[in-house]
Amino acid sequence: MSKSSAAGTQNKSVISRLGGQKFIVLLVVIGLIIFFGAASPDFRKYSTAMSILDYSYYIALMAIGVTFPLITGGVDLSIGTGLICYSLTGGFLIVQKGWPVGAGMLVALLLGIIMGLFNGVLVAVMNLPPFLATLCTCMITRGLGSIFANRLGISWPTSGTEGSWFRNIFKITVNGTKIPLGFLWVLLLVALMAFVLNHTKIGRYTIAIGSNKEATILSGINVKFYHIMAYVISGFFAGLAAIAYSAVFSTVQPGTGAGFELEAIGGAIIGGVSASGGVGSVEGSLIGVFVICLLKTGLPYIGLQANWQQIITGLVLIGAVLIDIMKKKKEKD
Amino acid sequence: MEKLKQNPIVVKLGFNRIVLCGVLLLMYLLFSVLGENFAGIPRILSALNYAYFLGFLSLGVTFVIATGGIDFSIGPVMFCSALVSGYCLTSYGVPMALSLVISILVGALFGTFNGYLVSHWSVPPFIVSMASMNIAKGVASVFTKTQSVSWPQGTSEQGWFRSLIKVGNFPVGLVIFLAFAVICSVILNKTRAGRYILSLGSNREAVRLSGVNVKKWEMLAYIICGTMAGIAAIFFVAAYTTVQPGYGDQYNNEAIAGCVMGGTSMAGGLASIGGTVIGVFIIALLQEGILALHFTKDYQLIITGIIVIVAVYADVVARRRKN
Amino acid sequence: MGEVILTMKEIDKSFPGVHALDHVSFEVRKGEVHALMGENGAGKSTLMKVLTGIYKKDSGTIVYEGKEVEFHNTREAQDAGVVIVHQELNMLGHLTVAQNIFIGREFKKGIAIDDKKMNEEAAKLFDMLHIDIDPSETMSNLTVGKQQMCEIAKAISHKAKVIVFDEPSAALTEAEIDELFKIIRDLRKQQLGIVYISHRMDEIKVITDRVTVMRDGTYVGTLITEECTKDDIINMMVGRVIYEDPKQHSMVPENAPVVLKVEHLNAGRMVQDVSFELRKGEILGFSGLMGAGRTETARAIFGADPKESGDIYINGTKVTINSPEDAVKCGIGYLSEDRKRYGIVVQKTIAENSTMATLEKYMKGLFINKRAERGIAQEYVDSLATKTPSVDQLVVNLSGGNQQKVVIAKWLVRNCDILIFDEPTRGIDVGAKNEIYKLMNKLAEEGKSIIMISSEMTEILRMSDRIIVMCEGKKTGEVDIEEASQETIMNMATREIS
Repeated sequence: MSKSSAAGTQNKSVISRLGGQKFIVLLVVIGLIIFFGAASPDFRKYSTAMSILDYSYYIALMAIGVTFPLITGGVDLSIGTGLICYSLTGGFLIVQKGWPVGAGMLVALLLGIIMGLFNGVLVAVMNLPPFLATLCTCMITRGLGSIFANRLGISWPTSGTEGSWFRNIFKITVNGTKIPLGFLWVLLLVALMAFVLNHTKIGRYTIAIGSNKEATILSGINVKFYHIMAYVISGFFAGLAAIAYSAVFSTVQPGTGAGFELEAIGGAIIGGVSASGGVGSVEGSLIGVFVICLLKTGLPYIGLQANWQQIITGLVLIGAVLIDIMKKKKEKD
Repeated sequence: MEKLKQNPIVVKLGFNRIVLCGVLLLMYLLFSVLGENFAGIPRILSALNYAYFLGFLSLGVTFVIATGGIDFSIGPVMFCSALVSGYCLTSYGVPMALSLVISILVGALFGTFNGYLVSHWSVPPFIVSMASMNIAKGVASVFTKTQSVSWPQGTSEQGWFRSLIKVGNFPVGLVIFLAFAVICSVILNKTRAGRYILSLGSNREAVRLSGVNVKKWEMLAYIICGTMAGIAAIFFVAAYTTVQPGYGDQYNNEAIAGCVMGGTSMAGGLASIGGTVIGVFIIALLQEGILALHFTKDYQLIITGIIVIVAVYADVVARRRKN
Repeated sequence: MGEVILTMKEIDKSFPGVHALDHVSFEVRKGEVHALMGENGAGKSTLMKVLTGIYKKDSGTIVYEGKEVEFHNTREAQDAGVVIVHQELNMLGHLTVAQNIFIGREFKKGIAIDDKKMNEEAAKLFDMLHIDIDPSETMSNLTVGKQQMCEIAKAISHKAKVIVFDEPSAALTEAEIDELFKIIRDLRKQQLGIVYISHRMDEIKVITDRVTVMRDGTYVGTLITEECTKDDIINMMVGRVIYEDPKQHSMVPENAPVVLKVEHLNAGRMVQDVSFELRKGEILGFSGLMGAGRTETARAIFGADPKESGDIYINGTKVTINSPEDAVKCGIGYLSEDRKRYGIVVQKTIAENSTMATLEKYMKGLFINKRAERGIAQEYVDSLATKTPSVDQLVVNLSGGNQQKVVIAKWLVRNCDILIFDEPTRGIDVGAKNEIYKLMNKLAEEGKSIIMISSEMTEILRMSDRIIVMCEGKKTGEVDIEEASQETIMNMATREIS
C-alpha cells in the first residue's frame, strides 16, 4: 500500500472529485468541437451536429452495453457484426415477410439477448477466453446475418412509406427543423444503465467479478449467473443499436459491421473503463464514444480522409490503456 | 484405444495429427460424393490457393499463441500489406520484386508494433490486436485513397510473381508453403527462439528467473507473426489478384482455427506446426467443399466459429483434467 | 474469562507425505484472547483452516456452543459465527467499504440496493468498534490496517462469536496495532472468543490471556500469559530436539575472499537497509520467521524485483543488476522457494530445463545441440542421483525432491559461483533432504558460495557457517555458527523493533 493513499483519502484532487478520467475526456470532447469548429465553418452547421449525432446512436448504445463485460474483465467483440445480423433479420421479416415493424424490432432485440446468453455461457460456464469466444460469435453472427438476408442489402421502411414511424423515434421533423430525439433516448438509457451499474445487484456483482472473482465466489454469490448477465446486457444493447442503425441509415449491408465493436469498446476504454476490469462507468463510456464520433465526422472537415479516424482510434485506444497501466504501476510503487 | 495411443509410431506422429489427417481424408471423400465435380485437380488447386495465404497466417499466429498471447489483427494486416505494396507497384511504379519486399516489411512492422506493446508495456494482447486491426485498415484505406488494388495478371510483364503459386498445373506454392512450415517447425523445436517462446508460454516467470530476456523473445514471436502476414499477402494477391481496403477480419478466425485445431493450446506452451498445417488444409478444404455444395461463404464463417469454440473448449477441459 | 465456547479435540490431518496435525487439541473461552504460537509449519494455520471448513479433518471433534459441528466451507462457518480474518485480505478493491462489508447480503429498496442504509449500518458498526473509517470510501484507497478493520467490522456484522486473527499485525504500523488492540479488548469485553496467531512475542504478552504452543503439527502446551515469560514460550516453541550433527564450527578458511557484498539494500517495506558479505566457499544461512523479508532480499539482489537503492559488489567490483539476466551474467543463480511457479517449466523435459539458463552454450550454429544438451543433463542426473527413467521425461512427472534437483542442475550447468537456495528442502522427503544437504556441502567445498534461506531451525544450524537473522524487513542479527543456538536466533527473529 502506498504512502500517498494512506494520507490521500482526504485530499482528493479536484479532477478526481469531478469524475476523474470522465472529466478530462469531456474536456477533450469540448476541445475537439472547438478545434473543428474553428478550423471549418461548415462544421459549425446544424446539419453537421445532426450527422454526428446520427452516427453516435448505435455506437453509443453498443458502448453502454459492452461496458458491462468490460468491467467484468472480459470483452464482447460480437456486438458489431451482431448489430448487422439482428438488423438484417428484423428487416428481412418486415420487408420480405410483411411482419409489422414493431415485431421486427422485437426480433432484433430478442436475437441480441440470445446471442448475449450464448456468449455468457461460453465465457462464464465453459471458461473460454472472452476475446476468443466472442471473436467466434462475431464470425457466426456475420454468417447468420448474410444467410437470413440472402446476401442482399435490406432497407427498413424508408421515410414516407408505411411503417416508417420507427425512424421518428430517433429523428423527428417539427416545423421543418430536425430534432435529434435519439440523443434523448441515449441519455435516458445511460441514466438507466448507470443506475443498474451503481445501484442494483447486477451492477454491483459485475464490478465485484472484475475486481476479484475468487473473493466474489467466496462471498457466496452466484457468480456464473451475474457473469452471464453482463454479456446478456451487452447483447441486448447490440439489439437496440441494431434498431438505431436501421432507423438512421437507409440500407443495411450484409458482411459489414466488423469494426463497429472497436469504436464502442474504444469509446468505453477512453471513457475510463479499465481493460483489466473492475473500473468503469456508463456515462464515461458515452463521453468516450463522442471522442470517436467527433474524430470520425470532423476529420474530413480539416481535409483528412475519414479513414484517418480508424488509425487515430487505434492509437488513442492504446494510449488510453497505456495511461491505465502506468497509473497502476505508480500506485504499486 | 489406449494401446494404440501408446504405439511408438503413433506417439512419434502424434495421435491428434493422425486423427486430423483422417478427418481431412473423410471430408474429401464426403465432398467428392456430395459435391458436383468435386473430385479432380481443379478443385484441389483452388483449395490450395486458399490454403497458402491462410497457411502463412496460421504458421505465424502459432508462434504468438505459443507464448500464451493472441493476435487477431493478422487478417487486416495481410490486407494492409497487400494494398500498400500493391499501390506502390501500380501507382508509383515500384518494381515487382521491391513491392513484394515492401509487403513483407509492412507485415513485419505491424508485428514489431504489436510485440513491443505486449512484451515491453504489458498491454493485453487482445487490446493490441483490436487497435492494430483498426490501424491496419485505416492505413490501407488512407494509403490507397479507399480504392481497391489489382495486381498484374499472370500474362502481363510483371505477372511472374504469380508463378509463386503454380507453374502450369504444378503447385509451386505448396512446395514453398511446406518449406516454410518445415522452417517454422525447425525454429520452434530446434532453436533457442522456439525453446524460449514455448517455455515462456508455459511459465514466463520461471524463464525470466533463469536469466532469459523474455521481453525480447516474446516480441520476436509477434514479429514472426507479422512477417508471416506480410508473406501471406503475397500469396493472397498471387491467387486472387484484387484486394479491397476495409476487409480481412474473417481470416483471423480461420487462421486461429487452423492453429487450435492442430493442437496448439490457447494457454500457451504447447504448439505443433504439423498440426497447424493439417488444420489449415481442413479449413481450406471446408471452404472449397461448402462452395461445391452450393452453400455461400457465410456457412463457412459459422462452421469455423463453431470449430474454434469446440477446439478451445476441448483444450480447456483437457487442462482442467490435468490439474 | 467465561465458559468454553469452542473446543477442538484430537484433530488429526494428513496431507500426502506430511502429517500436518497430530491429534491436536485446542479450546477458546468466551471473553478471552487465546494466542496460538509456533514456528513456521507448526500447523497453526492448518488447524484454523480445519476449523473454518477450508480443510476437512481426518479425525477428531469440534464442539461449538455445546454442539458437535463440522463446517464444509467458510460460508457455513461464517453463518454459524466463526470468522477468520485472513493475513491476505479478500477484498474487492473497487467497491466501497460498506459495499464490501455487506457483499452478498445487500439491503434493498425495491430493486435498488440501498447504499444509504448500508453506509449507515456500516457507520454504526464502526462507531461500536470506535473505528474512524468513512463507509463510502473506496476500499483500495485504504491502508492495509484500515482494510483489516473493515474485515473485523464485517466479521462483527455476521454476528461472530469466535474471531480468528491470522497474523493481523504483520502488515500494520505501530499506531494501527494500538488501534487494533483497542478493538480486540472491546471485543473481549463483549464476551467474544478470540484466537490470535502471531509471531510477535511482545504483542502476545500485551494482548493475550492464554498461549497455546504447537510444534511440528503437535500440541505442546497451554500457558496463562501472565504467569509465563518470553523465554518459556520460546523454549516450548523450539523444543529440545537433538539434531543430526549440527555444524560445530565454520568450514570457511580464514583467508577466504569476499565474493558478494551487499550494502544498504532497500526494496520496499520488506527490505530495509540490508547489508552483508558472503565469502568464497561459505554457506550463509538466512533465518527469520515467515514474512521477515528474506525472500524479498534475495529477489532484489537477483534483480527479480526492482530495488530502490543499495550497492552490490561481486569480487570487489561494483555491479548493476536490474534484471535476472544481469544477475545470471554476474554468476548468481537463484533457486526459488516456489519451484512450480518460479523454478521449472513443468511441461518441458529434464534436459530442456537443465539448459534453460545456459542454452547459448549448447548450440550448434543456429540450432540447439540436443545431443550435447541431453549429455550434460544426463551428467547431472547421474551426479545428483535424480530418479528418472530418462532425461526426456517431462518435469511435471517428477517428485518434489527430484524437481528440486533439476533446478539445482540448471544452475550447476550454468556454473554459477554464487547460489541462492530459498527454502531448498520445502516439501521434500527426508531422504532427498539429506542428499540436498550433502550436495550443498560439496558445492561449498568446491568453492561455491551459498546463501541459504530457511525457516527450519535445524536446517539453519546444520548447514550454515554463519547466520544472518531478519525480522520485518531488517537485518536484526548476525552470528557465527559457533555462537548460534536456537534460542539466540529465535530471540533475534522475534525482536520487537520500533
